[in-house]
Amino acid sequence: MASFWTLQLHPTSIPHQVSTYAFEVRPQLGFTKRYRILKGKNKRKDFFLKASSNEDNQIKDETIISKTKSNAMWVLQNQVSRLQETIVSLPPIIFSIKRSPHSKFALGFCIAATVLIVAVRAYVARKPKYQRQGSVADLVRRGQLNSDRRGISKTPMYDDPFNNPLVKISKNNSSVEMCGKVYRLAPVTLTREEQNIHQKRRSRAYQWKRPTIFLKEGDPVPADVDPDTVRWIPANHPFATTISDITEDLAQNNVYQKHGVPFRIQAEHEALQKKLEALQGDQKFNNLVIDPGTARNFERPFNSNIKIDDQQQQGEHNSANGQTGLRPESQPNSASEEKQTQ
Amino acid sequence: MTSLQLLTEPSSLCSSNFIPFNPLYKTLIKPTTKPYPKPSPIRSVLQYNRKPELAGDTPRVVVITSGKGGVGKTTTTANVGLSLARLGFSVVAIDADVGLRNLDLLLGLENRVNYTVVEVLNGDCRLDQALVRDKRWSNFELLCISKPRSKLPLGFGGKALVWLVDALKDRQEGCPDFILIDCPAGIDAGFITAITPANEAVLVTTPDITALRDADRVTGLLECDGIRDIKMIVNRVRTDLIRGEDMMSVLDVQEMLGLSLLGVIPEDSEVIRSTNRGFPLVLNKPPTLAGLAFEQAAWRLVEQDSMKAVMVEEEPKKRGFFSFFGG
Repeated sequence: MASFWTLQLHPTSIPHQVSTYAFEVRPQLGFTKRYRILKGKNKRKDFFLKASSNEDNQIKDETIISKTKSNAMWVLQNQVSRLQETIVSLPPIIFSIKRSPHSKFALGFCIAATVLIVAVRAYVARKPKYQRQGSVADLVRRGQLNSDRRGISKTPMYDDPFNNPLVKISKNNSSVEMCGKVYRLAPVTLTREEQNIHQKRRSRAYQWKRPTIFLKEGDPVPADVDPDTVRWIPANHPFATTISDITEDLAQNNVYQKHGVPFRIQAEHEALQKKLEALQGDQKFNNLVIDPGTARNFERPFNSNIKIDDQQQQGEHNSANGQTGLRPESQPNSASEEKQTQ
Repeated sequence: MTSLQLLTEPSSLCSSNFIPFNPLYKTLIKPTTKPYPKPSPIRSVLQYNRKPELAGDTPRVVVITSGKGGVGKTTTTANVGLSLARLGFSVVAIDADVGLRNLDLLLGLENRVNYTVVEVLNGDCRLDQALVRDKRWSNFELLCISKPRSKLPLGFGGKALVWLVDALKDRQEGCPDFILIDCPAGIDAGFITAITPANEAVLVTTPDITALRDADRVTGLLECDGIRDIKMIVNRVRTDLIRGEDMMSVLDVQEMLGLSLLGVIPEDSEVIRSTNRGFPLVLNKPPTLAGLAFEQAAWRLVEQDSMKAVMVEEEPKKRGFFSFFGG
C-alpha cells in the first residue's frame, strides 16, 4: 500500500513548504485522510502524513506560508536541529493507519502473497539440491547407503559418439573449444629418439624378471627355479594365497569349459549319488531313520513344505534315471540379472 | 566424436636435448630450464562422423596400470571400456584388483556379480556364467577376479589370466576386440598377475612427482616384462594451476617419462558424481569435459594413435557482438 504512494519531504529552505513535522502525500491521488506517524514514546516529535484534495490543500498551504514568513529565522534554526535529531534517533516507526476495512484487507493480502512467494521460492531452491543425481541424498534415495537398494532411475545417455558438436577447433588450429571453454593447443615435442633414450635409462635402472613361482614364506626354493623369479607371499596376505586345492590342469580345464555342469558341482553330485548307491547296496537305506527335527534344519526354505517321503521318492527317481543337475544356487550372473529386473 | 591429428612431420618438432630423469631436480629447475622449442603452428584436423579403424590383432589385451593408487585406473578402465563399447567394439573388462575391486561399482554392476574367476577356477561355475553383461551396452562385459573376502590362489601365477584370455578367444559369440585389465596399485602379486597376459599397457598418472616416480618404475617393470607398447594418460590436469606454474604441464610429464600420450583428462567434479551414480562419465548427457577426453583417448586406443597436440591453458572465450543478449 505504502509503496503506491510517493512520500515527499519538503526541504525547509523553500519558504512555502510545510514544516518538518509533516509529510505531504501527492495530492493527485485524491487521498483526504490524515496519517499520524508515531515515533517511539516521544509524542512531541510526531509526524503527520497529510494527503488532501486540491481545494483543501491550497487553503492550508496559505496559512502555513503566512506562519512561516513571520517566524522565518526561528523556524529555520529549529527545523534543522529537529530534523537532525530525528535522523539521529532513528526510532522504530510504527504506522498507525486509520483507514477503511478495504485497505486492511489489501494489506493482509499483500503480506500473505509475500509469504507465499518466499515459501515457493525456498521450495523451488531446495528441490534440485535433493534431486541432483550423484549427490549423497541421491545415494540414499537409490539405496546405496542402505541395505535396501531400490531401482535406479533411467538416466539419459549421450548416445552419438560420432557427431559431437561440443568440440570445435579454431580456424588456425591453435585452440580448441570443448564444452564452451577455449583451450590453447601446444604441439607434442616428444620424438622417437627421446623415447628410446628413456627406455634405455629404465632398462639400466630397473632390472626385473617377472616372478613365475609364488612361494609361501618358509617354503624351500625348488632346485630348478631361478631365485629371481620367486615371489614370496606372506602367509597372512589378505588377498593372495599359495594354497590351492585343485591342480593346475584341472583349473585350466575349468576355465576352458564351455558347456555342461561345472566340475565341482558335478563332483559333489556324483559323490552324493555314490553314497546313496552304497547305502542301497548295503540294505541300510530301508532301515535309515531320519529324525524329522534334525532334517528340518538342513532344509531350504522353499522345500519346507515338502514332506520327507516326497524327498525319498524323488531321490529314488533320480538315482534310477542317473540324472545330474545343477545346484539351485548355481545361477549364472545373467540369471540373477533377470531376477533383478523383475 | 573428434580426434586430433597432427599433419606435420614429428621430426620437425624434434627436441634433442635430454635431461637425466630426476623428478625432484626436474621439478625444482623446471621454470628456468624448460627446453621447449619455439612453438610451431599446429595443424590438426577434426574427424567427424567416422568410425575409428581398429588397429592390431584381436583381442587387444590392454592392462591399465599406474603404480600409485588413487590416480584413476579404475575410472579410466570404466570410461575407456564403455567408450569402446559405444564405438561398436566388443569389450571384456577384467577387474584384477584382488580383494579391493571397485570396477563393478563404477559401472553400477555391483549387484550382479555372483561368480568370479576364483569360482571358475574351482569349477563352481563356467566362464560364461561369471561374465556380467552390461545392459546399457550389450557388447561390454565385466569379469571380476575374486570376491572381496576371498583369496586368489596364486599357485598358477598369471597363468590363470592367460587361460581366461584364451577361453575368451574361443567363445561362441566370437573373440572380443578388447580385453581391458584393471590392474591393482603397487607392484605386488596382483600387479604381476594382471600384466601377465597383456600385450600393451596404458599408464595412468597425475602430474605430481609421487605419481610420476611410481609411473616411471612401473614402466620399467613393464618394459622388462616385454610389454613395449606403453602409452600414458595424464589424469586430473588443472589448466589454471599449470598457468600459475603450480602444476607440471602435460608436456613436462611427457618429458620426464618419455611416453607417448593417449589422453589428457582434465579435473572434473563430475567424476565423483558419476562414481557415486555408478554411471560412467562418457554416458553423461550433456557430455562433460572429462568424458569427452576419455572418449578421445578410447578413439586413439582403437587406432593405436597418440596425441600430437595438447591443451595447455584456458583462454578467455571471445564473445560476439550480440553476446550481451545471450547470443
